Parts: sequence; C-alpha cells; structure tokens
Amino acid sequence: MALSRRRLLASAGIGAAGVGLGAGGYLIGHDSAEADAAESTGSVPFYGEHQAGIATPSQDRLHFASFDLETEDRTELRELMEEWTRATVEMTEGKMIGTYAGNHDELAPPEDTGEAVGLPASNLTVTFGFGPGVFDRPGLGLAARKPAALKPLPPLPGDELNGLESDGDICIQACADDPQVVFHAIRDLARIGRGTVTMRWSQLGFGRTSSTTRTQETPRNLFGMKDGTANIKAEDGEAMDKYVWVDEGPAWMRGGSYLVTRRIRMILEVWDRSPLQDQEETIGRKKYSGAPLGEQDEFDPLPLDVKGDDGKPVIPEDAHVRLASATENDGVRILRRGYSFTDGVDQSLGELEAGLFFIAFQRDPEKQFVALQRKLGQFDALNEYIHHVGSAVFAVPGGTRPGGFVGEGLFRPGS
Amino acid sequence: MNRVPVRALIAALAFGLVALLVAACGGGSSDGSSGDSEQLTFKLTDAGCEPHKASAKAGPIDFEVENGGSAGVTEFEILEGETILGERENITEGLSGSFSLTLEEGEYTMRCNGGTEEDGTLKVTGELETEASPATVKAIDTYKKYLLKNSEELTAKTKPFVAAVIAGDVAEAKRLYAAPRVNYERIEPVAESFGDLDPRIDARENDVPKSEFGGFHRLEKALWEEETTKNMEPVAEALLEDVEELEELIKGKVKIHAVEIANGANELLTEVSTSKITGEEERYSHLDLVDFKGNVEGAEDAFLAVAPLMEEQDPSLVKEVEKDFAAVYAALKPYETNQWPGFVLYTELTKADTRKLAQTIDTLAEKLSLVPAQIAQGESA
Repeated sequence: MALSRRRLLASAGIGAAGVGLGAGGYLIGHDSAEADAAESTGSVPFYGEHQAGIATPSQDRLHFASFDLETEDRTELRELMEEWTRATVEMTEGKMIGTYAGNHDELAPPEDTGEAVGLPASNLTVTFGFGPGVFDRPGLGLAARKPAALKPLPPLPGDELNGLESDGDICIQACADDPQVVFHAIRDLARIGRGTVTMRWSQLGFGRTSSTTRTQETPRNLFGMKDGTANIKAEDGEAMDKYVWVDEGPAWMRGGSYLVTRRIRMILEVWDRSPLQDQEETIGRKKYSGAPLGEQDEFDPLPLDVKGDDGKPVIPEDAHVRLASATENDGVRILRRGYSFTDGVDQSLGELEAGLFFIAFQRDPEKQFVALQRKLGQFDALNEYIHHVGSAVFAVPGGTRPGGFVGEGLFRPGS
Repeated sequence: MNRVPVRALIAALAFGLVALLVAACGGGSSDGSSGDSEQLTFKLTDAGCEPHKASAKAGPIDFEVENGGSAGVTEFEILEGETILGERENITEGLSGSFSLTLEEGEYTMRCNGGTEEDGTLKVTGELETEASPATVKAIDTYKKYLLKNSEELTAKTKPFVAAVIAGDVAEAKRLYAAPRVNYERIEPVAESFGDLDPRIDARENDVPKSEFGGFHRLEKALWEEETTKNMEPVAEALLEDVEELEELIKGKVKIHAVEIANGANELLTEVSTSKITGEEERYSHLDLVDFKGNVEGAEDAFLAVAPLMEEQDPSLVKEVEKDFAAVYAALKPYETNQWPGFVLYTELTKADTRKLAQTIDTLAEKLSLVPAQIAQGESA
C-alpha cells in the first residue's frame, strides 16, 4: 500500500474538524514550514493542531513524569499550565527558560537550572496529559469537562502492579535525542510546579522501542527483537485519524489523544537463556531480520493462516504478534511509542531491573488498549518473560495555538 | 505456568529432511527396520495402479503388489518428482512382488506404466520417527520411570490431603498440603504438555478467570486465608481427578525425546526464577521454598537422565552443571528446618536471602541452558 509522504502536520491538519484555533490556513502553512525546518535544525515546533511528541518521529530518549495535583484552586492550575507552556516553548527552541536577567542575577537562583545550556534543542517535545482524578476534584469544578473515554484502567489479566509507577493527576512526557535535554525538561518543569504539584513517579527511557515513521529503522527492544514493525506510522494520516486523534467529546480534547503507560519489567535473565527458536516463536518473528515466521522480509504481512509441514500454524497461536495483530482484534490498532529502561539492580534478586516503558496513544483506551491487553494478558506466550508492574492513563489535550497554553480549553467557558 | 517444550529440533537435526531409500529391486526383503512397517497393497490392472490414491504415515512402508489380471501393466513404481525411489518390475499375471521404503512426509507419485489412467498419488504424513540409540533409549526410559514414580507419589499424597479437606479438618489439611506439592513441582513441565491439566491443578489466582480458579492453590487460599474448607469439596474432588488423570497419561503412550527432557530441566529452573523466588507460587501458605527444592530436584533428575548422552561431547559442561546444582542445594540448606514443612516460610526471607538464592539459580540455569543443543548434537552424531 503506497502512501504519499505528506508533511506530518499538514496531513494531520487537512480534513480535521475546526477546533476553534483561528485561521486553519495559517496553522497548517506555518506548521509545514516549521516541520521542514525541524529536520535541519533539530527543533520540533511546539504549536500545532496536535501536541508534539505523538506523531513526531520517535526520538532516542525519554523522561516521563507523573505528578499529584496538590491544589483545588482552578486559577493556580491554570497559571501552572501557562508557566509550563512558556517554559516548554523556550526549551523546545533550544533556549534557556526565563529571561537574561533572571538567569544572570548573582543574588538570585537562576531561573533555568542550566544543564542544557549549550545543547541544541535535540528535537525536544514535551507532551502534557491529565489523569482521571483531576476531574473528580470538587474544588476544581472540572467535572463537566471530563471526557467519557477517560476512566482509570480496570484490573487486567497479567497485572502485577506494585503501586510504585502507577496513576497520577498530570503527566509530562519529554522526548529528545539527548538524555540531558530530557532530564532537564522534567527537572525544570517539576521545579516550576513546586507547591502546585508534587512528583509522584518518573521514568527515564534510553532507547526508543517503536518506529513511528516509515523513515526510521525499526529499533530493537531489550529482548533483542525488532519492535514497532507493524506500528501505526505517523505519515499514515488516515490511520492517525482513525485510531489516535480524538474528534469527539469535549472541545478541549479535540485533536488530542489518550496516553496509556505500562511499566513492563522484563525477566531478561530467563529470556537470555531461552533457545533462539523459543524466542522467535514467543514473538512470532525471526530475531535478526524481523521477518514474520514463514516470511522473508520484515515488512511482509503476517501469514496468520499459513500452516507448516507439521500442520501447525507457522506463527504459533500464542505468539505475541498474532495476538496483538489488528486482524485478530477486529482491526484495533494503537500508536506505540515506548522506551527501554533500566533502573539498576533488583536488590531482592540480584538481577537487572529493566524492561520496556510502554507508551501507547489511542482515541479510546477501553476499546483499544484495554481490549488488546485483556487478550494478551491471558494468552500471550510473552507473559512468561514479563511483569506489568506499573500502569496509568491520561487525557492528552489537543494542540496549542501561538499565544495560548496547554489545556487552555479546560478553562474556557463552555468548552 | 510455562509453554510446551520445543519439539521440532529433533526431526530437523536428526534427518536433514531427506527421504531414506532402502533396498528395492530384486528381492522382496524388508529394509531391516523395526517391525512397525506400514503395509500397503496394490493391484495392477489395465487401468493402472489400484488403488489410485493411497496414504501412509511417515516411516517404513512395505509395498505389496499383485497382478490383478492385466497383460499390459506389469510394473509398479514410487517416485519423488521424476526420481524413482523404489519399484518392482515383471509382475506378470499371477505373480506378486514387494519392496520397502522409509519415507518422510510429502506427496509421492505412483506409476504403473501402460495403464489407461494417469499417475496416482501417495500422500505421506507425520514425523519420521528416529531410530534411537541404546543410550538414548536408556535415558528416556530412566526419565519416564522418574516421572511415573513422582506421579504415583503425587496421587498417593493428594488423596489424604483431599480427604482432610472434605472432612473439614483445616489443621490436618494444611499439614498434608506440602507433601504433594513436592512431587508436582518436580514434574510440572510434563503436566503442562497435556493440554490444560497444569492450569487446572496448579494455577495461581490471577492466572485464570475467577470461575476457573481451582486446584491446589484454590484450596491453599481457603485453608490459609479463609481458614475454612466450606464449599471446597468439589474443588478437592476435581483436584484428585486431575492428578489421577495425569498419572494415567504418564503411564500411557507418553512420547518424550531426550532434548525435551533437557528442555524440561530448563523450564523447571525458569519456574523457580519467575515464581518461587518471588514468593508468588504459594501466596497464602508461603511454602515457596518447598516448591523451589522440588523444581530443582526435578531439574537435576532430568539432567542426570540425559547427561550420559553428552558426556562425550562436553564432559566439562556436565561437571560444571553438577557443581552448580550442588551450589544450589548448599544455598538452600540454611533455610531447611527439621519441623514441618521442612523449610522456613518465604515471608521470613530477606532481600539478601532471595538475592543469593536467585543468583545460584541463574548461574546454574545459564549453564543448563546449553545442554539441549549438546544433546541434539550427540543424538545426530
């Protein structure tokens, strides 16, 4: 299926319902130019119909943070979002946060913490989301704005949640090609948030485990397997509209998406001593080429109906790619944008505490992620090697117009 | 719970997917293979080979050909493509002849020249059974005996446990719970190969949907968390039935290959790594170390059964594995007690304790994981 390579943001803008962002023409044209610039300067435009960091080609590094909201004062929350937006615009342009004066006054602590000074923007994107709990806080008065699709994830088969990296009121996903840049983003935003939010948990990710565009080479996850071959690709505007972008519900969510995180601990020591054939049959692909079992090329469609000489399907019934495939799930797809992580050593076992920090974007978590995980959690051969230890869901608002701020729609009357 | 062990390795390695040709023209002698030859009988008629379509299982096949009253058709051939694998000629009226072939899975041509009909087909299906060496036969036999012994003990120890549950004696049932666990955990991978027996006997609470949660751990939960046997009678009875079914299956035609035995040893250690060392197996009774030792014993006995098959290739690996097994038992020793259940409860272990145990298992398992490939090599040598 040949799809023309249209400019990312332009394709996202065309045909979408008006979202009250002013001159649509300006937005699209502006973003195309910015997008072209992005490739050469390493800077991703912050403003647009959608928040960056979703359709953006997956960068190499992640710093994800979840915050608890410590206030029920609506104005305080609004002001936080405004300040966060200002800082983010500056960071994504490779600039220091704050003013010259604010960073050079010897008697005052600098506004920007400084570790990203001299580093380019490195394709930094910062994406914000709101957890279900925010809308239940009576003082904030946001109950009427709660989207129907935003619910805490139900208990799912395979859950081994330890309560440490789960849930949260506000999330910030910072991605860039430089680890220091993503670290700096979260650190500085957390600092700006002091008093209004507290950090609940955070996760550093060091290798992208999904290709989100056709131009990217499919990366490998910590199992050594290619990960993201069949992912929704951002150039595929139709798929993005169908599976990722929200176009219903409260206006502030239009052009947004729902973000699900799952901290998946991988039992690497056990995987590493499994025979190659077992590894390949667990996933359903050849390890080195990424080709589906029974096929030659990584991008060959999955031969789900093909049987081998022994009468059994070449892709086993419990293989991960089979159970996760759109074909076997009534066409359900999600946009995966996860990262590998390691957090040192599990002191109780002397083994690596590492795995996949899974991130998925979809327009309806219940119909998409939850439906998929219900099946995978029960039947996936991969379950032998993983523990789902953390889980969260957030509503990611639509994009921001120049002069606006993230989640502005939440505070506008009648949206 | 783990997946079924890898099986395809054997056939691929042992035979390289080439049909074996044995004997043929001249005599009707058999190919000298075991008495398990399949017999196919054909008649030569003016039409050609009758029957026109035949099927057989992969392995040795005896072709018996008789002339059914045809003057023009006097030959019978089996071909792969255009290559004649075996044939009998000059089977004129009143005569018969035979030949044998050992065929692997595929479609073959039957040709009776001079017949009015076109070529017939012979469809061969299934896996070619390897002719095992005496050493392999002994290894498999040794392990089968081990399986049977533990399965019989499992049944014998489950019976009084189930009886105590049904009688409503919580204290006694708890006391009797530990013993059958050891036998089961020694042979668990074999149970897993028989459909859903393993989840029925050994599932933990979130392994299966609520309505299907039964077996040992449902009873464990009732005894330790709920301190009751109320409503557990059907669960207990079903458990005994399942355990007896396992014994029957093991007694019956269980086909195991040497490589599978080696893989089973590895799976037992994976069991330890993923659920015993984390305390997930015995969530209510905390008897995980009892199971832990059972898994290790099962792995060791599986390994010892097949070790002779690789002693020639890699004697040093065998020694290292034995050393590592000893290290695991030594690491377990400090936690053994001389009162029931013979081990401290999992809840008494510190991070330092579990860490040490996990590391000795990882060390052993890393070496043991090299064994299956060695066994396969040894068999095809």
